[in-house]
This record gives sequence, structure tokens and C-alpha cells, in this order.
Amino acid sequence: MNSTLIIQSLMAGLTNSFVYALIGIGIAVIYRGTRIINAMQGDFAVIGGMLTVFGLVSAGLPYVWACALGIAAGAASGLLIDVVCVRPMIRRQADDEAFLLLTIGLAFTISAAVLYIGGREAHLLPGIGGNGTVEIAGAFMSVHAIFLIAISLLVVCGLWLFYRKTIAGLSMIAASVDPDGATSIGINVARMRGYTFVLGGAIGALAGILVTPLISVSYQMGLGLTLKGFAAAILGGLTNPLGAVLGGLVIGLSESLAVVGLSSGYKDVVALTIMLLMMVLMPNGLLGKAGRRGG
Amino acid sequence: MSLGKRIFFGAPALAMALIGASAAAEPVRIGALLSTTGGLAGLGIPQRDGVLLAQKLINANGGVGGEPLEILMEDDGSNPDAAMTKVNTLVHSQGVKAIVGPTGIAQTVAIGSVTQPLNIPVLAFTGIGPAVENARNCVFHMTPAQGLNARALLSYAKEIGAKRVGVLHDSGYGQVIWGVMSKLGDEFGVEFVQVEKFELSASDATAQAAKVKASEPDAVIVLSSLATPFRNLRQVGLTAPIISVHGTATYEIVKAMGDAADNIVHAEFLIAEDPLPYQVEFVAEFQKEYGRLPKHFEAAGYDAVMATVAALKRASSNAAPDALCQEVRTPYQGAFAQYDFTAKDLGGLTLSSFSYSLLTKGKFSRLPFKASQ
Amino acid sequence: MTKTVLNGRLAFAAVMLVGLILPAVFERHMVDLLVYAGLYTIAGLGVGLLLGQCGIVNLAQALFYGIGAYASAYSTVTLGWSPWSGILLGIAISVAVALVIGFPLLRLHGFFLALATLAAGTIGTIFFFEWDWLTGGTLGIGGLPPLSVLGFEFNSPARFYYLVWAVVIILLVLSSNLVSGRPGLAMRALRDSAPAAEVMAVNIHAIRTKIFALSAGLGALAGSLFAHYSTYVSVESFTVQRSIVFLLIPVIAGARSIWGTVAGALFVTFVPELLSGFGDAHQMLFGIMLVLVVTLMPDGLAGIPARVARRFAR
Repeated sequence: MNSTLIIQSLMAGLTNSFVYALIGIGIAVIYRGTRIINAMQGDFAVIGGMLTVFGLVSAGLPYVWACALGIAAGAASGLLIDVVCVRPMIRRQADDEAFLLLTIGLAFTISAAVLYIGGREAHLLPGIGGNGTVEIAGAFMSVHAIFLIAISLLVVCGLWLFYRKTIAGLSMIAASVDPDGATSIGINVARMRGYTFVLGGAIGALAGILVTPLISVSYQMGLGLTLKGFAAAILGGLTNPLGAVLGGLVIGLSESLAVVGLSSGYKDVVALTIMLLMMVLMPNGLLGKAGRRGG
Repeated sequence: MSLGKRIFFGAPALAMALIGASAAAEPVRIGALLSTTGGLAGLGIPQRDGVLLAQKLINANGGVGGEPLEILMEDDGSNPDAAMTKVNTLVHSQGVKAIVGPTGIAQTVAIGSVTQPLNIPVLAFTGIGPAVENARNCVFHMTPAQGLNARALLSYAKEIGAKRVGVLHDSGYGQVIWGVMSKLGDEFGVEFVQVEKFELSASDATAQAAKVKASEPDAVIVLSSLATPFRNLRQVGLTAPIISVHGTATYEIVKAMGDAADNIVHAEFLIAEDPLPYQVEFVAEFQKEYGRLPKHFEAAGYDAVMATVAALKRASSNAAPDALCQEVRTPYQGAFAQYDFTAKDLGGLTLSSFSYSLLTKGKFSRLPFKASQ
Repeated sequence: MTKTVLNGRLAFAAVMLVGLILPAVFERHMVDLLVYAGLYTIAGLGVGLLLGQCGIVNLAQALFYGIGAYASAYSTVTLGWSPWSGILLGIAISVAVALVIGFPLLRLHGFFLALATLAAGTIGTIFFFEWDWLTGGTLGIGGLPPLSVLGFEFNSPARFYYLVWAVVIILLVLSSNLVSGRPGLAMRALRDSAPAAEVMAVNIHAIRTKIFALSAGLGALAGSLFAHYSTYVSVESFTVQRSIVFLLIPVIAGARSIWGTVAGALFVTFVPELLSGFGDAHQMLFGIMLVLVVTLMPDGLAGIPARVARRFAR
């Protein structure tokens, strides 16, 4: 085993970490704003990636507009799900399990719909900054992966400011933490929940657009992304976008080291076992209770 | 036929039976059990296209001894359980004379336990698999066995003088081929310097690719049906040639490889851009029907139906299944390759059946190399 | 005997009678689907007990279904044991695994527990894949002997139909008794108000772990029966997708209804088959139906009669 290999694995792991983190951030945003675990976050990514491919390849839009189309599609799907499914269920005070089942059902439906409409082929997008690679200490990293990491960090900073400094962000948290109190000071709780789903859908779609140049997008990839995103979000304490990045790093890096050290077949076993241990031993995530409030 | 269709179409069929309408020629029925949805759909859909083309051409040319050929299409969803259910329907309820398919090796092993005791011929799109298949003399194999695939790949590695070979294989069919290939290194003077596996469902195998690259191989053999390993090997900067099993030699997977579809050699069967003499007619007919070029999976689907019909024509129209099975057991010149169904492996493909293609910027071209026994 | 009870018993007897003659009138393919509906009822019953009585979403049932199937396949094909001892082995291993993973995980609640079971199920599928010396990996294990009693072999769909549905009825009766008795009362108490149940000295964690083990045992039994019916097992049958199907059975049926499980199992076996005529659209239509059930019908199919009654009462 040589040092180049370890560096190469760590860089592959780093890229994956931020992919998981982006999905985890979306899950954290939706959980923070609605107290709902969204089992279809990975499918927002599929919608975003697919619509961007459609915009770029079939409709001939410029890359930037195609990306805007993808993100808008994710945001619109989020809104649609809130209005059509979540609202009636909130009205009849459905329990946690019902919401989880709803999002599992939606994940299944969206994956099947993408298969029906978009076909079963995997699609690629050109990387941001071209398809080049840079060499770091004898190991290779694609230029796009560096953009992916940078954009993820921008999203985290943006969310931090949004939830701290803007009225909309503060209202969204208030509406979820204390719906009755929020209503009494004039916050429209239902509308805030709608905004949360729009935000979650947009972040999911952005994640999809960013991963497509690396791993391509296809109808059946949603569930796998969701599971890793969960692991990242749970490690981060579930409400904290910054925590999701930390969680993503733990999962992604330990996975890639597992491939180097153990048999590669057990990569996912390592990632999921870490998640299970964390849930049982540190239910508030790596950052503890303080991390729940922060970010 | 699905339950829904049976309800819709069952009533008129019953009415006709009651009236005693026997004037129309009774069709000759065979079943096609393919994986047109699920993980194997990338293989099952092209096979279906080939099967449908063959049916159309046969019926346009007088059918089977004057009777139309009816093919009952069933999808097993890439799942062996479902294949068992569907094969029971085809055999017991629909009374098919033969079955083309299944697409997957697990499905083939599974359904053989139903068809073999009845001596119903099965023309499967898999190579002969585990030991239990050796006794199944009515399950024929339209694609090469794992051992033959492995030898075809190693023959090329030997040809280009690759001594140190890395292997990247998936956890499905790739693992099955690797199981055989791992024992053949000495025979071809090849050392397997690094062998890595990745999950069938994996969207990323960069870490495995990095491990293979770090072993500094002369060539890398990829055993998979996915585009992922090719992209990852190029992403980590591998420049050595990649030698790949025929499963990824399809236009769809090559498209999904993107820029990585370069300097890859496939040990495969049909290079439609430059077909062999016995493939010209099939390629022309396929292009006329579908407006695109076929690969070997389409050819295998076509050949399976054509070989079955040839046997049906030789047998008497009410021949018992074992007589029909006996008629299939003969050499047959297909568009895929020259088959010999009398061979011990019930397919008769050899190393000389393989063609070698080079992918250059996403385009296939024929290499002059031919492997020999 | 009141009139309603009498009517109920007559209806039950009529359903039984119809059930007895179905294999004689249906074609083989339909009987085959009915056998699968029976197998799925058994596996779904376990998931339903957890969901309906304890409020636990279990996404790992395919793991136990797989353990049962592989235990039967390995012990009969490789070790040459009798099928019945293979079934017992499968149940024993499943219960043991359920106790080991359930003990720590069942301290979690709600979403977290559901995700934990999803992760456990996914890990299980990976082990089925990796341990190919035991499971046959991608190629699976074929050639299982049919089940037999006193020389009578359950080797056709019609014969197996009677076997599996007899098992189903026995299990449904036992489960109904369990739920209406003291254990059921305790379970419902903890589902509806865990703190209150604790005050009443109900050991929540012990009860949840026991029901989880029971559910796992039912999953293993279904898996073993499936293996002997199909005579072939491979990893494709034990994925997370199969766990989701098992979860849908009580969801569609209405989780609190024991006998409703049958309706849920019939739904997940027959509806996709009916929809398969729509080609690639069929999965999407099935998904939409699921979302509609979850969104609009909190009590599943079992809630329909009550809803209709309420509408007319107005």
C-alpha cells in the first residue's frame, strides 16, 4: 500500500462526502422546517439532474439556464408535494410514521415516473470548469469535484445566514419549533412549511445537478443517495446543515478507507454501521445538543 | 400475457371457441421470457428487439409451415422468483412449444428445474452456469460460458504482452466470471496484480479504481455491465488499455461512459459498423426495421427465434417436446456466431467466435486480432 | 346469538368455502399468485403487528425472509437435512438475529427506528451477496425439495395453496388472540401513550423486543415456505424493495387490522399484475395508488366500511 493510493482514496472519499452532505443538508432543511423525515430527498436530485440534462440536450438551453430549469423543477416538486400530500395529512394530524410512508411512496412513484418519461438510460452532464483533472501529489481529482465542494460550502454558509439573519429564515424555524406561538405573532405556518419544501427541493435538485457529471443520473439512484444522505444528516444531528457536512465527511472518508483497508464489498456496511452506532450511542449527533440549535 | 389483457381478450377468445371457429390457422406458440424491466433491462430490451424482428420476418415469409408464429412475451423484472411464476404460466397454461430467454443466469438456472423434466427447449441468453446445468440437455446457451469469456479476455491480454493485469469487477455477473478467471492466470502467463470488486448498485467505484491503478498494471480487465468503472478508471488517471467483457459493448453503455469511452477493447461478437459476411443480412434487416445499428444482444434474440423456428420446421407439427428438443440439437449458423447445439456446453461457441473491437472516442472499430484455441 | 354475529359467521364460512374451491376453478397462474399472497400475508403479518400494535415501522423484514429462505436452501440442498428442520433452523436464526439487533435499536423511536431498520435490512442484503459460499451469491441455490407430509408432496401451486393458506389462517387466529388478550392491551397502551404505559409498569422495551422477534420469526417462516415453493432462491428476492412491499401490506390494509393483512397481501400481489398491462407505466400507477392510500385513507382498506357507515349515518 503506498501513499499515493491513500491520497487518491481520500480525495475520492472527500468528493463523495460532499455529495452525501448535499443530500443530508436537504434532509436537515426539511426536518428543521417541518419535523418530517424526507425519504425522497435523493429523488429531488434525480429530478434536478434529469431536467438539467433535458434542458441542455433536448431543449438546447445554455448550461446556466438548464441548471436553473433543474433547480426550479426541484423547488416546484417540493411545493407540489407540500400542497397535494402534506397539507391534507397535517390537517388530519397524521403521525410520524404516516409521513415517512408518504415520502417512501413518493420516492417509489417519482423513480417510476422518471423511468416512464425519461427512460432507463443514465445521463451525463459536462463538468463545471470542463472535464479536466488536477494532479495532487500523484493522485487525480476532477476539476468539477473541486467546484462541487466549493458550491456545497457556499450553500452551507448561505443557509447559516438565511436562518440567522433573514425574517423568512427565522419565521421558518419559529413555525416548526412552536407552530401555535408562531401563529399568534402573525406567522403563516402553512406558508412557511411550503417555503421549507421549496428550499429542500431546490437544494436536492442542486445536489443532483452537481453529482451528474461525476456519477451520471438515472431513475433508480434516488434511494441510494437518500440513505447516505440520512447517514450524513443523522451524524450531524439532523437539523444542522453544517453538521450534515461533518457527517458526510465521516461517512465518505471512512467508506473510502474501508475500500483500501478491507474488502470493497463491505463499503456500505461500514457506512451504515457507523450510522447505526451513532444513532444508538450519540442520538444528538457529533455536535451534541449545541449542534442542534446551531448552523 | 398479463392478467389484465387476459380479462380483456379472454371473453372473445372464449366466444370463438364456443362457436367452433377453427377455420383460421392455429398459430405456433413459443414463449419469450426476458428481463425488460429491472437491473437487466439493458440486455433484455435489445434481446426483445431482436426477437420481434425475427417474428416479423418469419411471419412475412409464410410463418412456420404455413402457420403464423405467435410469441408470448413475458417480463420477469430481472427477478428469478418472477421468472419461475412466468415460466409456469408459459409452460402449463399457454402450452408453448419452446422458450427463448431468460436474460439472466440466475433466472436460467431457476427455470431449468421446470422445463428440463418436460424436455421443453429453452434457448437462454446466458452461458452454461453451475454444475446443475450440465445435466439439462434441453437448455441451450446463446452466449458464451464464463470460462470462455475469461479466456477470450486473457487471450487479448497475452497478445498485447500484458503480464501485470488489474481486474475491476462488479458483484453480479462480473464476480461469476472472475471466479473462473482467477484460476487461468498461469495458463496465459498473466499475474493478477490487483483485483477489486464494487456493488452492482454502486454509482461510484473511484476508490476501487484508484487501488487498481496504484498497482501499475499493464492492462486492466473490467468485468461488469455498467459504465461506472470505465469512467472511474479514467478519472483516477489510468492510461493503460482496458479490456472488457462483451456486456458493456452496447451503444447505451458506451454513451453513459462519456469521454471515458476511449482505448477500450471488447471481446465481443457483432461490430455492426463492419459486420462479418454471415452478419450482413441481419444488420441490414435490423437497420431497416429500427433505424439504428444492432449489437450482439439483438443478434442473440434474433438467432434464438430463428433457431427455434428452424427446429420447429424440421419436427412434425405435433411433435413431442423431446423430439423438438432433439431437433434443436444441431449446428446452427446465427448472426451472433456459428453455434453448435450438439456441443457439451449446449452452445458450441469457441474462442474463434469472438471478434475484438476497439472503442475510440465512443466509436467501435474492428481489430485484426482473432483468438485461437 | 345476535343477528350480526350470525351474519359474520355465515360470511366467514362462505369465504372459506370459496377459498377451498378456488384452485379448482382458477388457472395455474392465478393459483400461483394466491400462493404468493399467502406467503406475503405471513411476512406482512409480522410487520403489521409491529406497526399496528407498537407503532414501529420495520423496513428490515426482507432480511428475515432471506434468512429463512437461505436456512432452508442450505440445510436441505447442501447439508441434506429434512425440510422441516430447515424451517425451524431459519426461524431460530431469525429470532436470534432479531434479538441481537433489536435490543439496541429498539431504544430508538419514530423516524430514527425506521431508518435504523432500513440500514439493518440493507446491510443484510450486502451479506447475502458477499457470503456466496453460503447463499450462492448471484447464482443462488436451486433444487430445493418440495415439502411433504407422510409422503404427500406439496409440489404444485394448487397443493401448496392449501398448505400455505392453512398456515395463514392458524397464524391469523393466534395473532387475533394475542392482540385481544393482555399482551395486546399492553402493546396498545404503549403505542398510544408510552409514558402512561411505563407508569403502569409495562416494560416497554421488553415488549417491543419480543414483538420484533415474533415478527422476524414470521418473516423467516414465510421465507422458508417461499424457498420450498419456488425451489430456487437468490439474492434478488431479499432486497430493500421487498421490505418496502412487506411494509405496504399492513399500510394498505390498515395496520391495526389483523385479518385485513390478507387484503393488503392480495393488493400487493394482484394489483401490480393487473397494472402490468400498462407496460412501463405500471410501477408509476402503483406508486400513485400507494401515495393516495397513505394521504387519503389513514386506516387503509380496512377503514373503508367504517367510512361508508359514517357517511350514511350523517
